[in-house]
Amino acid sequence: MKELKLMKGNEALAEAAIRAGCDGYFGYPITPQSEVLEYLTQHAKARTGMVVLQAESEIASINMVYGAAGTGKKVMTSSSSPGISLMQEGISYIACAELPCLLVNVVRGGPGLGTIQPSQGDYFQAVKGGGHGDYKLIVLAPSTVQEMVDHVKLGFELAFKWRNPVMILTDGALGQMMEKVELFPQMPRTEEIYPWATTGKTKDRERSIITSLHIQPDKMQEINLHLQKKYKAIEEEEIRYEMIDCEEPDLILVAFGLVARICQKAAQLAKEKGIKVGVFRPITLFPFPYKALNELADKVKSFLTVEMNAGQMVEDVRLAVNGKIPVEFTGRMGGIVPTPEEILQKIEEIYVGETV
Amino acid sequence: MAKVKGDIIVDIEKCKGCELCAAACPQGSLELSRKLNSKGYHYIVRIEDNCTGCTNCALVCPEGIIKVYRKTDKKKEPVATISNVTGDITITVQS
Repeated sequence: MKELKLMKGNEALAEAAIRAGCDGYFGYPITPQSEVLEYLTQHAKARTGMVVLQAESEIASINMVYGAAGTGKKVMTSSSSPGISLMQEGISYIACAELPCLLVNVVRGGPGLGTIQPSQGDYFQAVKGGGHGDYKLIVLAPSTVQEMVDHVKLGFELAFKWRNPVMILTDGALGQMMEKVELFPQMPRTEEIYPWATTGKTKDRERSIITSLHIQPDKMQEINLHLQKKYKAIEEEEIRYEMIDCEEPDLILVAFGLVARICQKAAQLAKEKGIKVGVFRPITLFPFPYKALNELADKVKSFLTVEMNAGQMVEDVRLAVNGKIPVEFTGRMGGIVPTPEEILQKIEEIYVGETV
Repeated sequence: MAKVKGDIIVDIEKCKGCELCAAACPQGSLELSRKLNSKGYHYIVRIEDNCTGCTNCALVCPEGIIKVYRKTDKKKEPVATISNVTGDITITVQS
């Protein structure tokens, strides 16, 4: 049976975590994601017995996640931009030790302490690694509150499939926005004991060791090669994206997350003016849909990337297009959300340039 | 001074400054405050005393945190209350 509810993005995400059978949440409050911790402390323990703990800092919470993930449990944490920056060391450790966990970044305007309004300025940090060393996170970018719910479930699945941390890269507006969501039924908490998990050595099993410290360089290189092989396989299998009206457009808007929805409205406005505009929305930011964008570049004269930052994903789009067509960029920074009219204006500028 | 017909009370700690109520107010009497609440959001305040108690702001508020009072001959009592949205929405409007 469908269960429809009107929920705030952050609360929907927390509810989804309970329903996905999450075993532990370790977090530290920061606007605009405090509702995740608030909701979980109120509801989680009574319903599934899930552990919800407010750590003394973001650094403590990510290391609690590191420890708990080592036991093969479904664990997660969430924070906003400055908090995620603090967590980077721990995330790098988790990625090296190949542990599954879910990280949620409700991005706010930066750099620095910044603002508490929505932004997408953490694209590079999330997609290109962020911490030290050669590692990647699987990055999911929801654009609706419904997807905030779905991506929690998907995120845990991917994390355990690849034994890699998964990050949900959302923003302050999605976290605070209230929308209709369809919730999935309650899933039981897993009892499974994974062979790699540190659950205590019994006579019938080998000792599992979780570490990210390997003193010998050749051993470390081996681990790096193994990680790179895994990332290659993820790039082949896990690409997800959405194309809207991309059959015969004059121009394609490339945007992720919330901005993709603003772009859809802009495309609608452009259609009324006789300009056919398609919207391309990557759902997984790592792995990025390079191939799909490259193929699309044969069909149109130019791309327009819209983001709530100074131009971060546009670099990946340019890599994908590989100089075939020009890739324009427009964006707002520091917590300001672009309006459909602004984007329409930019579309018209490009369109006039194309037709002259 | 204009004759006061209605008034609102906002739970400022829960306000996230989305300004939907300001857009919905036919009198244009709502605006974001310069001050911040404990989460860091600018909250909504009534800046004019021309509130008619039409309840538009309370109806559009996604957080359900605006209480509307309308001046009647009887004692002061709320004319609209909207409970928190994680549960059911119940709207009771007394004329």
